[in-house]
Amino acid sequence: MDPALKLDGVTKRYGGFTAVRDLSFEVKRGVILGFLGPNGAGKTTTLRMTLGLVTPTSGSLQVLGETDGRRLKGRVGFLPEERGLYRRMTGVSAIAFFAQLKGVPRPEARRKARQLLCDNGLAEAADRQIRMLSKGMAQKVQLLSAIAHEPELVILDEPFSGLDPVNQQGLESIIRGLARNGSTVIFSTHVMQHAERICDQVVLMAKGRKVFDGTVAEACAAAPRRLVVEGALAPDALSGAPGLGPATSELIDGGRMRLTSALAGNASAPAALKAVFDRDLEITRLELEEPHLHDAFIMLTERAGSCALDGAHA
Amino acid sequence: MSRLLTIAVREYLAFVRTVGFWLSICLMPMGLLIAIFATTMSAKVAPAPQVALLDFTGGAYVKPLTDAITAPDASPTSGLAGRPAIMVAAPGGPYATPDAAAAALKPYLVGDRKTPAGAHLDAVAIVHGSPADPQLDLWTRNIIEAGLQAKMTDAIAGAVRHAQLSAAGLTQDRISAIDAYAPKVAHFSPKSEAGRVSQRDNLPAFVGLALGFVLYALTLTGAGILLNSVIEEKSNRILEVLLTSASVPEIIGGKILGAAMVTASAMCVWAAVAGFGLFSRDPHLLGDILGVLARHGFGFYFALYFVGGYLMYATLFTTIGAFCETPREAQTLLGPLMIILTIPLVFMGQAVSHPDAPALQAMSWIPFFTPFLMVARAASNPPLWQVAGTAAMMFGLTAVEVWIAGRAFRTGALASGRFDLRLLLAGVTGRGERV
Repeated sequence: MDPALKLDGVTKRYGGFTAVRDLSFEVKRGVILGFLGPNGAGKTTTLRMTLGLVTPTSGSLQVLGETDGRRLKGRVGFLPEERGLYRRMTGVSAIAFFAQLKGVPRPEARRKARQLLCDNGLAEAADRQIRMLSKGMAQKVQLLSAIAHEPELVILDEPFSGLDPVNQQGLESIIRGLARNGSTVIFSTHVMQHAERICDQVVLMAKGRKVFDGTVAEACAAAPRRLVVEGALAPDALSGAPGLGPATSELIDGGRMRLTSALAGNASAPAALKAVFDRDLEITRLELEEPHLHDAFIMLTERAGSCALDGAHA
Repeated sequence: MSRLLTIAVREYLAFVRTVGFWLSICLMPMGLLIAIFATTMSAKVAPAPQVALLDFTGGAYVKPLTDAITAPDASPTSGLAGRPAIMVAAPGGPYATPDAAAAALKPYLVGDRKTPAGAHLDAVAIVHGSPADPQLDLWTRNIIEAGLQAKMTDAIAGAVRHAQLSAAGLTQDRISAIDAYAPKVAHFSPKSEAGRVSQRDNLPAFVGLALGFVLYALTLTGAGILLNSVIEEKSNRILEVLLTSASVPEIIGGKILGAAMVTASAMCVWAAVAGFGLFSRDPHLLGDILGVLARHGFGFYFALYFVGGYLMYATLFTTIGAFCETPREAQTLLGPLMIILTIPLVFMGQAVSHPDAPALQAMSWIPFFTPFLMVARAASNPPLWQVAGTAAMMFGLTAVEVWIAGRAFRTGALASGRFDLRLLLAGVTGRGERV
């Protein structure tokens, strides 16, 4: 079976500005892909190319086996960032309208809309205008309008932005449900916790380039583990300890100091811990932290930034 | 096609379900009625003007002047002349000279002093000089009172003429017969059905003018609806979602059709209101108007130029809307066009009296003015080559607009920030999709 999405050397230029440079990656069907990157990384442009809204300057792009994104209208669902609904439409009408545009007959679209709202705890939104709903409810209705036609590929641009934790949790559930039903979900986000919790694959972009493509675990593995030590410590208490990088220091309550140091890639954690204990420090807390996607994101984007600077200087 | 209709139906329902739409539909005929009857109503409800008259010539002009300004006016216009005046005695008199009278009565005009009856004066007429060659000094509260001056001038001229004819030996009956004389004039025109021109013959010109104004209102209302709709969709990023669901022609076509249905609804309501109003006041006039509409090809003209004009403006406004995030941006872009669009309003009035005026004919060839001016000229049966030529120009421009819209709409819909002409050109030439 064709992959849900395949990009091969895709570049997009706007005049003299290159928004996306030589981007290649593949997304298998049924996968939840997190599309990560700081502002201006090229995420939205890549999503728009995937949707057929803009055409690549060079390279090839295949979506659900099609090379022309404009042929996919009924097979793809899209949720734009921020609002994307008519404020005076009711929940049912809004969902049914977009489903109709995707080819679902009107009676079926309205039935399906009502069903989706009920299934997702939004029955009260069915006959209320969008402008009367809370932001969380409106965003859920918007997501439902993107999936009512049961698309094979769902593309969500910053779906969690501006939502409270409860609504974020609800949105995560809907996304997981989509993947369970066989849809491929691609979403862009700045919030690493969501990607870490629900993604099977993440692609990280910075300055128009791909800087990482793999699973969440692989991304986390790219970042070092960190040793956190708290107590009545001097800022240089860990300096020179084997296997530990330079420590950052932070004054916390009661005059105590928190020192954080990254373990070198090939360093042994027990050896590093023993070296700290051997210094006979007055320690109140000692923890070896596993890296999170957030750490990997920071490290990889910083690395990409310095590479870009190196390239610029060269 | 089904996507186009889905978008059209949504567009239509979005407007006709709002209270504002029905309010504006109802307010339009109400505003028209108020404008028509405001002059008459204001003349009727205004108090009668108080006029003081002083005759220093010996009193020969008191009666003719009093008769002239106190007689009811059959066709009231405005100001003092439109209403019968009330003659009041000049307060504080008698006065030795016209200058003394003017100086003493000025405070009564300004409002600083009141007459013994508690009123202020609206005008003071002072007649002086010799009885055979009198002079009228007319003082009025308001600077512009041309009607009153004209009435008094006519009255004095009449009185002097009477005196001179009488001195020449003519009898009073003979003088009255001369005054009453009116030449028998008959107006003929080859364009009149009966040869001789009647009031009914003027009706087509006025119907054409009215249809021109209706077309103007409907076209720009529909285009304005589209503009606001597209701006709202762009600012809410709904256009992006639409572009993932339908093609650009389907989106533009659906929106234009939807707004056309809105304007058609408005037209039906206005036609019904006008028909009912005419039927209840003057069924014969309604019959005449329907006859004119049926006989003079107005249906053809209206349909042809409504379709062309509406498409032309709707496509233009839709494309501009796709490049604007706020109504203010659109106003800035459309400002010059809206100023230019006042020109046909000026020339449409000419179509009644001078339908073949060269300036009017020349203006009819400018596609942006064509629909309104050609409909207004329809009653004069313009030559077929002009109808075909102006229609071809109008539809030609519309075709160019549709071509540009097809290429630029997507670029505008995906663009962010303020309108940029280079961006529009890049979209048209297909060289860029800057976002």
